[in-house]
Amino acid sequence: MTTELVNVTIDDVPVAVPKGTTIIEAAKQAGILVPHYCYHPSLPSPALCRMCLVEVEKAPKLMPACVTTVAEGQVVRVQSPAALKAREGVLELLLINHPLDCPICDQAGECELQDYVFQEGRAGTRYAEYAKRFNPVEDFGPDILYVPNRCILCTRCVRFMEDVAETPVLNVSERGDRAYIGIAEAQLLDHPWAGNVVDLCPVGSLISKDFLHKARAWDLDKTASVCPSCSQGCNIMIETRDEVVVRLRPRPNLEVNRHFMCDHGRMNYRWMNRGDRVEAPLVRQDGKTQATDWETALDRLAELLRASDGTVVVLASGRASTEALGWVRRLLGDRRVSAAVQVPLGEEAPLAGIPGLALRPERAPNADGARLAGYTADWDAAVGAAPGAPLTLLLDPDLTDEEVAVVRKSRVVVALATVDDDRLSGIDLVLPVATMVEENGTYVNRDLRVQRFMQAGPAPGMARPAWWVAAEAWARLRDGRAVPGSAAEAYDALGSDMPALAGLGYDDLGLTGRTLETAAAGSAR
Amino acid sequence: MGFPHPPHSKETVVLSKYFGDEGARSFDGWVQRGGYEGLKKALGMTPEAIVEEVKASGLRGRGGAGFPTGLKWSFMPKNSGKPHYLVCNADESEPGTFKDREIMRWTPHQMIEGCAIASYAIGAELCYIYIRGEFTDPLRITQAALDEAYAQGALGPNVFGSGKRIEMVIHRGAGAYICGEETAMMNSIEGKRGNPRIKPPFPAQSGLFGMPTTINNVETLAAVPHILTRGAAWYKGLCLGSPKSTGTKLFSVCGHVMMPGNYEITMGFPMRDLIYDLAGGMRPGRTLKGVIPGGSSVPIMSREEAESALCDYEGIQEKGSMLGSAGFIVMDDSTDMVYEIYRLAKFYAHESCAQCTQCREGTAWTTRILERMLQGQGKAADLQLLLDLSEQMTGKTICVLSDSCAAPVVSGIKKFRGEFDRYLSGAVNPETMPAVVGR
Amino acid sequence: MTGGHGAPVAAGGAGTGVGPPDHQPVFVGKALERLEALYPKYPTKQACLLPALWIVQEERGWISPQCMAEVGEVLGLTPAYVKGVVTFYTMYYQHPMGRHVIQVCTTSPCHLCGAAEVLAALLKETGCEELGRTSPDGRFTVVEVECLGACGFPTPILLDDDFIESVTPERVSGILGRYP
Repeated sequence: MTTELVNVTIDDVPVAVPKGTTIIEAAKQAGILVPHYCYHPSLPSPALCRMCLVEVEKAPKLMPACVTTVAEGQVVRVQSPAALKAREGVLELLLINHPLDCPICDQAGECELQDYVFQEGRAGTRYAEYAKRFNPVEDFGPDILYVPNRCILCTRCVRFMEDVAETPVLNVSERGDRAYIGIAEAQLLDHPWAGNVVDLCPVGSLISKDFLHKARAWDLDKTASVCPSCSQGCNIMIETRDEVVVRLRPRPNLEVNRHFMCDHGRMNYRWMNRGDRVEAPLVRQDGKTQATDWETALDRLAELLRASDGTVVVLASGRASTEALGWVRRLLGDRRVSAAVQVPLGEEAPLAGIPGLALRPERAPNADGARLAGYTADWDAAVGAAPGAPLTLLLDPDLTDEEVAVVRKSRVVVALATVDDDRLSGIDLVLPVATMVEENGTYVNRDLRVQRFMQAGPAPGMARPAWWVAAEAWARLRDGRAVPGSAAEAYDALGSDMPALAGLGYDDLGLTGRTLETAAAGSAR
Repeated sequence: MGFPHPPHSKETVVLSKYFGDEGARSFDGWVQRGGYEGLKKALGMTPEAIVEEVKASGLRGRGGAGFPTGLKWSFMPKNSGKPHYLVCNADESEPGTFKDREIMRWTPHQMIEGCAIASYAIGAELCYIYIRGEFTDPLRITQAALDEAYAQGALGPNVFGSGKRIEMVIHRGAGAYICGEETAMMNSIEGKRGNPRIKPPFPAQSGLFGMPTTINNVETLAAVPHILTRGAAWYKGLCLGSPKSTGTKLFSVCGHVMMPGNYEITMGFPMRDLIYDLAGGMRPGRTLKGVIPGGSSVPIMSREEAESALCDYEGIQEKGSMLGSAGFIVMDDSTDMVYEIYRLAKFYAHESCAQCTQCREGTAWTTRILERMLQGQGKAADLQLLLDLSEQMTGKTICVLSDSCAAPVVSGIKKFRGEFDRYLSGAVNPETMPAVVGR
Repeated sequence: MTGGHGAPVAAGGAGTGVGPPDHQPVFVGKALERLEALYPKYPTKQACLLPALWIVQEERGWISPQCMAEVGEVLGLTPAYVKGVVTFYTMYYQHPMGRHVIQVCTTSPCHLCGAAEVLAALLKETGCEELGRTSPDGRFTVVEVECLGACGFPTPILLDDDFIESVTPERVSGILGRYP
C-alpha cells in the first residue's frame, strides 16, 4: 500500500510527507523546529498556545502549524517577519505574569520559555509597573509540586492525565488570566504514570520534589539507556551529575513507550548510586579472604570450574545484561546447569491511553533475555539445588537471608557481585562487576525487542562488565581463545549460542532497538 | 417595534409585531396571530426546498457573523446516517444587544416554530435551545411554550401528524459570554468548559457530540416562519441598501438616546434616522459623540460616520465597522470614551476562556493599561503599547474574542485620540475621574 | 514463570474520596427525580453536568467540593473535572452567599446610563458595602456582573431569579424591601 505523498516547501526546504501530516511534523522532516508549547506528538492538539503560527502563502491569516495539514505545493514560512512578530508577541504576553524565577527554578537550562525568549523574544518587558498574578505553590501529591505563577497554561498536563492516563485529575480552573491548573481536594496526583507531567511541562511549573534543587540542567550528563525496573523496557536517559545518577527520564521510542515512563521506574535509581561496592576481586584461599588482581582471580575461577563436576547452579539477577547472561552460560559450556533468573513480581499499571504500555508485573528488564540464554529453571528449585552442588555461581542476584544460607551450602560459591554483601563473606570467590549504568549492553523486553543501553558512568574500583569476567574465564578454559573487546563483540559472538539473536547484529539495534523474529525466538513465555 | 415604545411608522414590523402583547405568548395566541402556518407549510416541502427558499431570501445570521443562513444549512451532509442537531443560540450576551430576549419573552412560539422548521430542513430531530442562565423570564416562558407545543403536537415524534419527529430541549447556560460562540456553545451543551474549538472541523461535519450540527441565532430562526409563509421574494425585497443585505433587523438601541428599545428596520435604513428619529435623538443639550453599532465587538463609529451610514452589513462595513448583532450603543458628548473603552476591555478580560495566550494575557494587560491611565498614571508610550497589543490580539486566536477587545481600543485611539491625550497629559483632575468600579 | 521475592509490590493507585462523611447527598427525592428526568434529553451523562449543577445550586445555594464530588460520582466524572467546569461559569457559586444574591450589570451600555450609581446605592442600602461580601445580617450579597442583555432598560439587576429592569438609585430601597 503506497501512502500518498504531498510536496511542501518550508523555509525554502522542500519535503515530501504523507497526506494528512501537520505542518509542524513536516517541518521536523525538513530539519526545522517550529517553536511550540501546547503541541506534543503523544497528546491531542488543542492549538491554544498560538506559538506555532506560521505564514502560509495564500492564507489570509497565520496558521497554527500543529493542526494545519499540508497541501500540495504549499509554501510555508516559519521565520517570516509576520510569524516572528507573532511569536515575539506570544512570548511577551507569557512573560507578563511569569516570574523571573530562573535563578531558583529547576527548569533553568532546559526551559522552553527561556530557550525561545532567548532566541526570539524581546530584550525587555513593557509590563514593568504592573503587579504579577501571584498564587502560592501547591502540593499535588506524592512527587509533584505545582508552581502556578510559572504556569503558561499550555494544558499538556491536563491532556496527559485526561487522554493518555484516562484519569482526569487535573483541570483548568477559573477563566481568563485568573486561570490555573487545578486538582480536586479529594484526589491526588498519585497515578502510576503521573510523573510524566513534569517532563511535559515546558517550564518549571510542574516540578518533581525528588529532583527539587538537586542539580542544574547544564551540569547533567545524559546517556541513552533502558529502564531496568520492569520488562516493558521503556527507553530512558540516565542523567548524572559528577557521575552520580540524579534523575531518570523517558527517551522517545514510538514502538515501546512513546514519550513516557512510569513513576516506579522513574524513582528507582537510588540503587545505582550505592557506594558499598565490591571494588576488587576477593579470593578465599587457606582460610583467608584476600583482595587480588584480575589475573589471579580469573585463573582461580577457571580452576574452580575445572574442578567442579556435576550440575552447576546459576542464579542470575533479572538486571543482568544479555551479554553477561549469554557469556556466563557459554562459560559453563556443555555441563549440566540449573540456571534461573530472578524476576520479582509486582502489580501491573497500564497507561490506559497507549495500548501495549504498562508497568509490568515482571519487575526485571531482561527476563526474556535470560530465558533466551537458557535461564529457564524455576528460581526456588534452582536455589534448592545449591546445597551440595559442585558450584553455585551468583550473577548479582538480590538474595534473602534464607536464600543466602541455602546457597552457602553449595560446595563452591562464586559471586559476580556489584554490592559488597557481608552475608557472602568468606565464599570462594567474589568478582566485582559493573551495574547496567556502568557498562554497555542489551536487554530483551517482553515484546522480544533487543535494546541497547549505554554506559553512563565509570565502574568503581576494579569492577568490570560481567560479560568480560565470564569471557576471560571462558578463554582460559579453552586455552587462550580471543575474547570480545567490547559489548558489541560480546553480543555478536552470542549469535551461535542464542539462535534467536542471529541475524540481528549489535549495529542493527540503533538507539531504539529491534524486535526478534518471533518464529525464531520460539515461545519464551 | 421600538418596544417598550409604540411602533414607529418607519419601522418594518415583522418579528417584533407582538412585542408587548402578552396574548402572543401562548400557543393558541400564536396560532391566532398566524402562527405555525410556516411549520405546516414546511412539513409539506422537502428539506432541500426549504433550504433553497431560505437561500433565496438572502437571510444572514443575525447573531453577529452575518453568514448566509441557507448556505450554512446546505453544509449539512446528506445521508450521513448520523444524527443531526440544531442549536438555537439564545445566549445573548453581547453588550448592547437585547433583542433575542424580547423575541423569547413575547413570542416564544415564533422562535420555536423557526427552530422546528430549521430542524426539519437540516435533518435534525433534536434541537437544543441554549438560553443564557441569567435570562430567568425567557427560560420560564420558553419552557412553558415548549410544554404547550408538545401538548398541541407541534413538537414530538409526529409533528402535526406528518410522521416527522422534532424534539426540543432547553439547555441553560451558567454565566459565560464566550458560550455564545458556536463551538464553545457546543462544548457547553456537552458538559464541558465553554472553550471554543479549532475549525476545521466545522460544526456541519463534526459538531455537537461529534455529529453534524447547525447553530443559528434566535433572531435568524424567528425570521424563518415568515420567509416560509410570505415567500423568499418578499423577504428579499425588504432591502433599502446593498442587495446582499435583505430582510429586517432588530436594532437594540441603547445608551444616550431618549427612547432606547428594539427598533425593527429594513436593511439599508439610514442610521441617522434610527438615532434621531426612531430612537428620539439625544438627551436635551447633548450632541452625538460616537456609536458602537454591532454590539461592543466592533470598531467605534465617529459621529460623522454614524450620521452617514446605512444600516446593513455592507453599509456599516464601508464606514469601517460591522453590523454584528446590531447592539447599537449610542454615546453622547458626556461620555468619557476612555472609561467606556476600559470598561469594555474589562468585560473581555473577564470573559476570556483562557485558551489562547494573546487573549488570556492581552485582554487583561489592555485593561490594566487603561485603568492606570484613568488613574492618572498613564505614560505616553501606553498608546503605542495598546496598539501593539491589539495587533497581537487580532487574527491570531481560536476565536475572535481578543479581536473584539482590540476593535474598540484601536478605533478609540484613532478617532478619540484627544481624550486619551487628556488623561496622559495630566489635564484631567483626579478628583473628577470616574471611580474605577469593581475588582 | 520464575519468581523472586514473592509478594507483589503495589504499583500505586489513584486516590479517590468523596469528602467528609457528614455530606448530605443532594440527589435524593425530588432532586433525584429532576436529575433522572435529564437523562433522556442528552446522549451522554456528561452533558447533564450543567443542568445537574443547577439543581445543586438551587437546592443548596452554592456548590461545595463535596457536592462537586457527588455530582461527579453520579455522572461518572472525576471531582477535578466537575470543579473545572464549575469554576468556568460565573453563575455557579463556590462559596455560601447571602440569602439573596443581587447581580448588577455595570458594562458600558449600562454604565453610560448610571449603573455606577445604582451599584453604589445597592452596596449601601444592603449593608454589604463591598462587592462579593455578604451583608452582616446575612441577607444580601451584591456582585458585579457583565452585560445582562437588557441594555435598553438600564440598569437591570438579577435578584435571585427575579430579573428586575430599569433600576434607579431611588427604586433600590423599595425593591430590597420585598426580599426579607
